[in-house]
Amino acid sequence: MSDKTAVLAKETPETAAVKTAAAGPGSYLVEVCLKSDFTDAEGQSAQWLLNSAGLSARAVRVGRLYEMRGALNLGHVHVAVRELLCDCVTQEFRVWHASCAAPGNGCLWRVEVWLKPTVTDTVGESVRDALRDLGIPDIAVRCGLAYHIAGRCSRQQLDRAVARSLANPIVHRVSLHEAS
Amino acid sequence: MTATRTAAPAPRTETVVLGGLRPAELQALSARHGWSLSAGELCAIQSHFRGLKREPSLAELETLAQTWSEHCKHKTFTSPIRFSDGRKTRLIKSLIEETIFKATKQLKKPWCLSVFKDNAGFVSFGSKWSLAFKVETHNHPCAIEPYGGAETGVGGVIRDVMGAGLGAKPVLNTDVFCFAAPDYAGPLPEGALHPRRILNSVVSGVRDYGNRMGIPTAAGGLWFDDAYRLNPLVFCGTVGLAPAWAVRKEVKPGDLIVAAGGRTGRDGLHGATFSSAALEGAQLSAVQIGHAINEKKMLDALLVARDKRLYRGLTDCGAGGFSSAIGELAADCGARVRLEAALLKASDLAPWEIWLSESQERMVFAVPPKNLKAFKEVFAAESCETAVLGEFTSSGRLQVAHAGTPVVDLDMRFLHHGLPRAERTAVWSPAKSAPAKSPAHKKSLAQILTECLGHLNVCSREWVIRQYDHEVQGGTVIKPLQGIRHDGPGDACVIWPHAATGDAADFQGFAVSHGINPNHGKLDPYRMALACVDEALRNLLCVGADVSRAALLDNFCWGSPEDPVQLGALVRAAEGCRDAALGFGTPFISGKDSLYNQTKDVGGKDLAIPGTLLISALAPVPDVRKALTMDIKGPGNALYLAGLTAEELGGSLFHEVCGRCASCTVPSADPAAALSLFKLLQAALGKGLVLSAHDLSEGGLGVAAAEMCFTGEFGACLDLDELPRRAPIYSDEILLFSESPSRLLLEVAPDREAAFLKTMRGAPVKRVGTTMANPVLKVTGLDGRVALEAQLCDLKCAWQGALPRRLGA
Amino acid sequence: MKKPKVLVLRAAGTNCDLETAAAFDAVGGASERVHIDRVRTGKTKLMDFDILILPGGFSYSDDVGAGRILANQIRLYFKELRNFVRLGRPVLGICNGFQALVKAGVLPASHGGEQTAGFTANDSGRFEARWVHLRLNTQSSCLFFKGLPEMIELPVAHGEGKLVLKSPRQLEDLKKNKSIAMQYVSDDGKLAGYPANPNGSIFNIAALTNPEGNCLGMMPHPERYTTRFQHPNWTRQTFVKEGVGLEMFRNAVEYCRG
Repeated sequence: MSDKTAVLAKETPETAAVKTAAAGPGSYLVEVCLKSDFTDAEGQSAQWLLNSAGLSARAVRVGRLYEMRGALNLGHVHVAVRELLCDCVTQEFRVWHASCAAPGNGCLWRVEVWLKPTVTDTVGESVRDALRDLGIPDIAVRCGLAYHIAGRCSRQQLDRAVARSLANPIVHRVSLHEAS
Repeated sequence: MTATRTAAPAPRTETVVLGGLRPAELQALSARHGWSLSAGELCAIQSHFRGLKREPSLAELETLAQTWSEHCKHKTFTSPIRFSDGRKTRLIKSLIEETIFKATKQLKKPWCLSVFKDNAGFVSFGSKWSLAFKVETHNHPCAIEPYGGAETGVGGVIRDVMGAGLGAKPVLNTDVFCFAAPDYAGPLPEGALHPRRILNSVVSGVRDYGNRMGIPTAAGGLWFDDAYRLNPLVFCGTVGLAPAWAVRKEVKPGDLIVAAGGRTGRDGLHGATFSSAALEGAQLSAVQIGHAINEKKMLDALLVARDKRLYRGLTDCGAGGFSSAIGELAADCGARVRLEAALLKASDLAPWEIWLSESQERMVFAVPPKNLKAFKEVFAAESCETAVLGEFTSSGRLQVAHAGTPVVDLDMRFLHHGLPRAERTAVWSPAKSAPAKSPAHKKSLAQILTECLGHLNVCSREWVIRQYDHEVQGGTVIKPLQGIRHDGPGDACVIWPHAATGDAADFQGFAVSHGINPNHGKLDPYRMALACVDEALRNLLCVGADVSRAALLDNFCWGSPEDPVQLGALVRAAEGCRDAALGFGTPFISGKDSLYNQTKDVGGKDLAIPGTLLISALAPVPDVRKALTMDIKGPGNALYLAGLTAEELGGSLFHEVCGRCASCTVPSADPAAALSLFKLLQAALGKGLVLSAHDLSEGGLGVAAAEMCFTGEFGACLDLDELPRRAPIYSDEILLFSESPSRLLLEVAPDREAAFLKTMRGAPVKRVGTTMANPVLKVTGLDGRVALEAQLCDLKCAWQGALPRRLGA
Repeated sequence: MKKPKVLVLRAAGTNCDLETAAAFDAVGGASERVHIDRVRTGKTKLMDFDILILPGGFSYSDDVGAGRILANQIRLYFKELRNFVRLGRPVLGICNGFQALVKAGVLPASHGGEQTAGFTANDSGRFEARWVHLRLNTQSSCLFFKGLPEMIELPVAHGEGKLVLKSPRQLEDLKKNKSIAMQYVSDDGKLAGYPANPNGSIFNIAALTNPEGNCLGMMPHPERYTTRFQHPNWTRQTFVKEGVGLEMFRNAVEYCRG
């Protein structure tokens, strides 16, 4: 899914009319990021980890990824984002769906890190339960992280640094995308 | 029960044909399934099933492999060892019986309420309460997925304590790590994680799980040695508080088997056998990520159910999952299990997978049928799921079925006592002692002291400690970071569990400390064990604990026991533990071992860890309002050194800094002498005659004095000529940096000196210096001239800056 | 004398409830630790209580954001909370409880009741536990502060404690309304950076109160400083009688007694 993803909406929840079409029945990918006016301490930590693994990243920002699958519609996604996944003061979000071109985010690289399907995703379980509270029917949720990395490096260098710092091939699935 | 059966049908699920296989073929079969069973063990299984006239099911073999694993049965410690020390050879029938257990049995302390038989040892704590203590290791998982490994390690030991007796409320976590230097620059084999990464991730895992559980992580340690680069050690410990009536569990036939907590999935298959095997080629499904919230919900429910006495027994699902948990609880009676009743994460699990899955955050309870409704209500109120899996029986058999199809039918006696004991050989050759020579170097004392303070094994651990919530529950009276700026190195923590007891008028607390020094062990494992116990007790003493009531835990982490030399060292260390326990009068109440900590390094040679013994000690503090910290409290006070200094620099930090001298005397504790000194000191501390106390360990007097001074922000003058000595010493260096055990540095107010000396009469205690307002550490040498003068801020900078710098933080 | 009834709200992952309840009991309150599900199902009624406490912890594991899920539950099942506050009954959110009150739009009080502030990760990028110096806003009418000195010390322990505001203009409103209840300061009482300000909060804000002064949210943990033996330097101090946190709880209890 993540190989061919696109930004369909980049909005804060208050203004949000989620302008997206579903990727297939009931499969949505939401990315939540800190608004750019706030310091991304997590991104700075990630930058430190990457650089101590041999990269020279200039800046890193982190996004949280939520993949929701099941009997849900766009209205559900809207509720999930506004009520739970995205903090209206500090965060903004995007909803992605499959079969579009690669995204451009002003960053040179975008790295997605997901737990492998064989590893229990405990955060996903929490989100699923919290969504149930909001009246969204039982769905499967997987959580991941997206790193937007600015810095000159080759795919190989990045791949190596990520495997040495942000992800562990034993439990994680990683995908790298060069921003256009 | 007899092993011959007539009526029961053979399990119809997937069977494994053992009949007719030769030992080599059995061995190959074991390797293929990842069982870690030896050919001898499989032969015993083969002949057992030959007697039954059937083949075992896959689930039965998996159950046996788990139950008989090194992790669960401690084969090395319980099997015969032929031990040779070069002169004599003797047969040790069971190492654990002849060392650790023996000391505890011989000491027979009435306050030891439950030792070595439960998930954790129990000691009494006042008249109404008891404390459970357990330290576990989670080494192999942390080597390959340090974050998840550390999380599940912490989660596992917390569950051990939750499942000890009738359940204890965790009130303290401790964590000790052994890693390679975070800036290790040497080669690593393909796939091995860098030590910095391991350190970062392990600390994060411990932090995220412990903090979420609401348990203060207030004790622990770090030890660096590059030989841990492929096999990091992660020791996680938990102390729990339980009412005195709740230290014993029982299970009666007819009680229901109820599983509670997280759901069962395919995660963590082969964890037990995995942790007993050397790393390469290990099964990787054992790697998991923990979910503290599930465990917290279970803890909240469990304590309510315990106090309503709704169940008779419980245990956690650790290695081996349901198979071990139910197998253990039912060991003396029997059990009938219906696996289809288990709550699953995925519906496609095979019966044997449900039975052996090691999904986290699950426990098993023995609930009398009349209590089931109330039990379920208590757990539902905390949104914690439960499922009745079957019942305990009096059949003496472990009978497991899935939707009516038998999966396992094993004789409990064979399961728990059928393991054949293989004999191993061990050799030990004592290091040849040669006269000590001071190594050639041109460093000044001030330079050496600064380097010692900035050494990874001494420097400040603040970067780690701050990430742990060490004050949740509001009872951390003596904190890991001490002194005027809350950043000095405490000897031990003191916990006043008033929130858990609900009695803020009861000022009884307890202290926990550790002793570890693998460098001593490289030269003399026996003396290492003595010194570790001595260090742990010294640390307890420094905060005002009652060391005559100290209880110990042992954790051995070693390389391969198949290597006679490594096994020989292990035997010596275990014997040291026994002699230390007997000498100090401090029983062991629980322990654990982790063997096979060796991995193929670059170039294909095995890299084993240095034999590592962690001693953890727990003692009551009769009145926490009299506890002590180690920071100098004011100027013009006397500094006393208690204990004799000898020329003992073998395995010392001094040699690490100034160049090694392999054949030096390893510090040797004399438990009898130390004990009488400690008793007097405890009396002096109890009378309030001492303002601060700090133990002398790595870096000796120099490091201890510097730490006390910069933590309290007062200077001190020391005169090396005044040190009480065992034999003449003619070197300032040796006096300042020797690591002779059983020594403490004490600060005494001038108006208390007379009373202090009266209390200490007959003990090797001497005034060695004075504190002062001027923030310098000044040491007068044997020649009467100033041998060292250093600004406290420089010393503190060296000590504080080292870890962040080497981490690149 | 009648003991004011204190509701100490629990949810999965709350972990400072025991010591918080004990602190209230010690100063004459009658505390009850209640799981939020009991409120949701109507078994326990908020309006039967005099004081509401949201203690620290990691409610619902803080997986999506600290206090977010608890905040949702408060909005969904605690419709009476606004009424409770309006009636002037004391409400105290500590650490995770503060985060939930902010995300539920209860603090800082806004007219529409929508969320106007938030929390992000500490500037250090790590969870940190340390003691901090705090300056209380002597101009605020916060009922918890009666008789307290202007400068106090308390421990903080959090990873996501950096308070941020929706708009810069809001800061002026907070100042005007005397809503800034506590600020992180250095040991000489000045606004200072890390580590005095442990998380990088805007204007060093450590606690917020409503203008009426009966609803307080704070990152530091008063329940961890109720006796003098909990201070990191108690072995050097002989002049302290009890922890300053206890006085805060006592103020709430006395307030209810009138």
